[in-house]
Amino acid sequence: MTAYLFRRLLQSVVTVLMVTVVSFGLMKLMPGGPVRAILGSHATPANIAHLTQQMGLDRPLYVQYWTWLDGLLHGNLGFDYVVQRPISDVLFSALGASAYIVGVSLLLALLIAVPVGMVQATRRNSAVDHAFTVFSFVAYGIPTFFVGFLIQQWFEDDLQWVSVQNQVSTFTEALTHPEAICLPVLTLTITTVAGYSRYMRSGVLDQITQEYVRTAKAKGASARRTLYGHVLRNALIPMVTLIGLSLPALVGGSLIVEFVFNIQGIGLVTTRAAQQNDYGITLAATLLTAVVTVVGSLVADVSYAVLDPRVRLT
Amino acid sequence: MALLEVIGLRTEIRLKRSVVHALDGIDLSVDAGETLGIVGESGCGKTMTAMSIMQLLPNGGNVVGGEIRLDGRDLLSLSAQEMDSVRGNDIGMIFQDPTTSLNPTMTIGRQISESVRIHRGASKKEAHERAVEALSLVGMPSPAQRALVYPHELSGGMRQRAMIAMALANEPKLLIADEPTTALDVTIQKQILELIDNLKQQLGMAVILVTHDLGVIAGRADKIAVMYAGKVVETTSTRALFANPRHPYTEALFQSLPERSAESGDRLYSIPGLPPDLTKPPTGCRFAARCRYAVDDCRTNEPPLAGTDEQHRFACFLPVGAPVYRTEAEPVAAPTADAVVTERIRESRDRTQAETLLRIEGLVKDYPVTAGLVLRRKVGAVSAVADVSLSVHQGETVGLVGESGCGKTTVGKLIVGLEKPTGGSLLFQGRDLAQAPRTERRRLRRDVQLMFQDSYAAMNPRMLVRSVMREPLDIHRVDSPAERDRRIREIFDLVGLPLSALERYPHEFSGGQRQRVGLARALALRPKLIVADEPVSALDVSIQSQVLNLMRDLQSELGLSYLFISHDLSVIRYLSDRIGVMYLGKLVEIGPAESVYSNPVHHYTRGLLDTIPVADPAVEAAKSSQGIAGELPSAIDPPSGCRFRTRCPAAQEICAQVEPKLTAYGPDNHLAACHLPLRPAAAASEEVQPALV
Repeated sequence: MTAYLFRRLLQSVVTVLMVTVVSFGLMKLMPGGPVRAILGSHATPANIAHLTQQMGLDRPLYVQYWTWLDGLLHGNLGFDYVVQRPISDVLFSALGASAYIVGVSLLLALLIAVPVGMVQATRRNSAVDHAFTVFSFVAYGIPTFFVGFLIQQWFEDDLQWVSVQNQVSTFTEALTHPEAICLPVLTLTITTVAGYSRYMRSGVLDQITQEYVRTAKAKGASARRTLYGHVLRNALIPMVTLIGLSLPALVGGSLIVEFVFNIQGIGLVTTRAAQQNDYGITLAATLLTAVVTVVGSLVADVSYAVLDPRVRLT
Repeated sequence: MALLEVIGLRTEIRLKRSVVHALDGIDLSVDAGETLGIVGESGCGKTMTAMSIMQLLPNGGNVVGGEIRLDGRDLLSLSAQEMDSVRGNDIGMIFQDPTTSLNPTMTIGRQISESVRIHRGASKKEAHERAVEALSLVGMPSPAQRALVYPHELSGGMRQRAMIAMALANEPKLLIADEPTTALDVTIQKQILELIDNLKQQLGMAVILVTHDLGVIAGRADKIAVMYAGKVVETTSTRALFANPRHPYTEALFQSLPERSAESGDRLYSIPGLPPDLTKPPTGCRFAARCRYAVDDCRTNEPPLAGTDEQHRFACFLPVGAPVYRTEAEPVAAPTADAVVTERIRESRDRTQAETLLRIEGLVKDYPVTAGLVLRRKVGAVSAVADVSLSVHQGETVGLVGESGCGKTTVGKLIVGLEKPTGGSLLFQGRDLAQAPRTERRRLRRDVQLMFQDSYAAMNPRMLVRSVMREPLDIHRVDSPAERDRRIREIFDLVGLPLSALERYPHEFSGGQRQRVGLARALALRPKLIVADEPVSALDVSIQSQVLNLMRDLQSELGLSYLFISHDLSVIRYLSDRIGVMYLGKLVEIGPAESVYSNPVHHYTRGLLDTIPVADPAVEAAKSSQGIAGELPSAIDPPSGCRFRTRCPAAQEICAQVEPKLTAYGPDNHLAACHLPLRPAAAASEEVQPALV
């Protein structure tokens, strides 16, 4: 296990390094260049030359890359000339709100989807099963932005349960104004539950037809004991992979929900940066997503091995 | 009063559009300390009977009539909770495949103690102690440590022991064993059956042994119920059934066993047709449509399960052995067994003198084992095939037998070119397959074809059988496309399949038909040699006999050679001219079939022969040998010297130090590799003719 972890971590480092090379290279290939993006099309050649030199863009590419990488290793993401703030400031304030909303809805989705999937599987083809199936397909089929608009319409305009005037852009704001995030969380939860409950349902269905379940019944275990003592753990194993693969969304945010509810989350910030040729932020966000994706899949693999003794990580 | 009494049991399974009448009026009884064997082919309802008693029927399954009385208590009237307290407490059950029947994510100790906790209300600690006790009862070495491991960390035989420990943890009155050894190797099978026998005596339980294997049942059951199409067709004591079967179905089953015809080499009897569709059971006797004696009465009226006396009952109007049949069944002056054996040996010697088709010399196959923190380096090798030499002659059948993991399948794969040998040479008609140029190798490959155990898994399920058949011909661009179709039709004719079968998908065939398709595909390129890897081991005996007959017919018609790989010695013996016995990658004995079978030299061969259950209670009772003890050692670090020495009853120091060489025993190139053989070697003058090895 230790050897496995060591090797995987080493692989992860290599993967992330390659991501830095590729994304750095791609940014350099973009037309216009950062100086033009910052100064606009009416800049004088002198200004351009000055800023180019100030940003170090006149140095050879590998030196620029090395400087950037060296900064990264020291926790310095660099300075963003477009918004005139350190990149880490911009990124992390946006990250807080996004991670909070995505994290809470992921947790809620699991808490709902696991029992729902179990009920559906154990009462297969019953009215309950059919009802949840219809819900899942409908919720899955409607685009997220539409679900968001519907929820906004019902809860804010029609029922007036919540009124959201204020924008949420930082983690503290999100914490202190729970009512401001409950609608985006609800939207995300509904769409996530729709998918997860299907996975859970088929996971449990896969397991309850296994022969070891028959063995459990043959030793006199009640239906309840069989379900919780034997089926549940085995059915949860595939869910772990799903959760691991959902982790990148924590830092990627949910652009659509952020857009609908006007949350200054990471999704919105990154998209805007890309549209405005804001190289610094785009690059940093890409890298962040890469790191979390790599870590997420590592976490999924390791928890897989922890849950299933047959999986030996070597 | 009997411990378990089943009276008029009727079970149905509701499907979407129909109802399967799985069991129709089953009567059974078992006493304490008695073993009842339930035997029959797949789909006859034997497992359904066991599941009805346990009330663990599949979805849609329901007992719709009859009584099941355990100790006088009607199980069918119990509530779900009450039935929970019967299962695992009064009735223990073990299943076929210990790999899938144990929870993979729970230690075996916990799985056993769960049963104790449910029924005895024991604390965690008490239950664990009881689990360790139960594990030692079933002969698990170091039970306290083994209780803490997960099922995948144990071998198949040990898993089945754990399963038995689980079933017996609460000392039930009745043990139901549903094909308990079908997934295990013969040597392990014997150990497990012996264990069940011993525990039965020790605990005074009743046992219901459900199996398709007449050999297993002959040696273990006190009485037998033969089932067919959801009914018991004959029931009596084991001895009476084997000595004097009265139902034509029982008789037919016995006659399709290859061991019954191994000496004479006669065609096997095969039951025509298929069992009836139980969604619409036929009127009258259910076997009538396939019975060679059936008359009109059989098709209209249903014969009751009755008989000469209480001890022997059968459901037939025209039972076997009744005067009606005496006249037609009498054979005309059969040649004596000895004469037949001599004749067969002579014939097979003729074949071994024919042209050598395939010759393998010093064949070696290692699979690397890797380890390492960052860079994977080779730390060892699994020695799958270690220095095997043998040859197959024109028109000959060579049988390769051994336990799983002995390397027989790998030898087959190497011959057909699915694996590359690590060392040694493969000569086909004198040409070295490894050295030959690409185009020639391609041509040679056509002459060697493979027939699989599971033809269904070996066919693309989305391809029509026509395309499956066409593929090899298209790949090798044989003749014109029209000619290819003509050839396919010809082959289908040859293997006895209707041409309409070409337009169907693989899943639409029964097991026996699929095996015919598998054989047809192997024949498409008109090969000279067919490597058949366990081609009949997934089939019921009556279907198995059809395939074996077909393979023999084709051999004499087309002059084919077979390399027949199987774990089943009786099938091997029936079909083969020569038999090679493999153990842990080594060929330990090879020689003429009759000679190896009746006069083995190697202790492993002797052990295998003793281990294999014979469908004859007298033979089984007379067996004194313990078979082969222990389990197959790892092929990563095989024992030094003779690889069998760790399990050999005769092993001495020399066996660990010097690897025995194949030496001649007798005039027919009967060779064996043993330092302490069961009989002396041939005189020194009798040199081994290398060409015949």
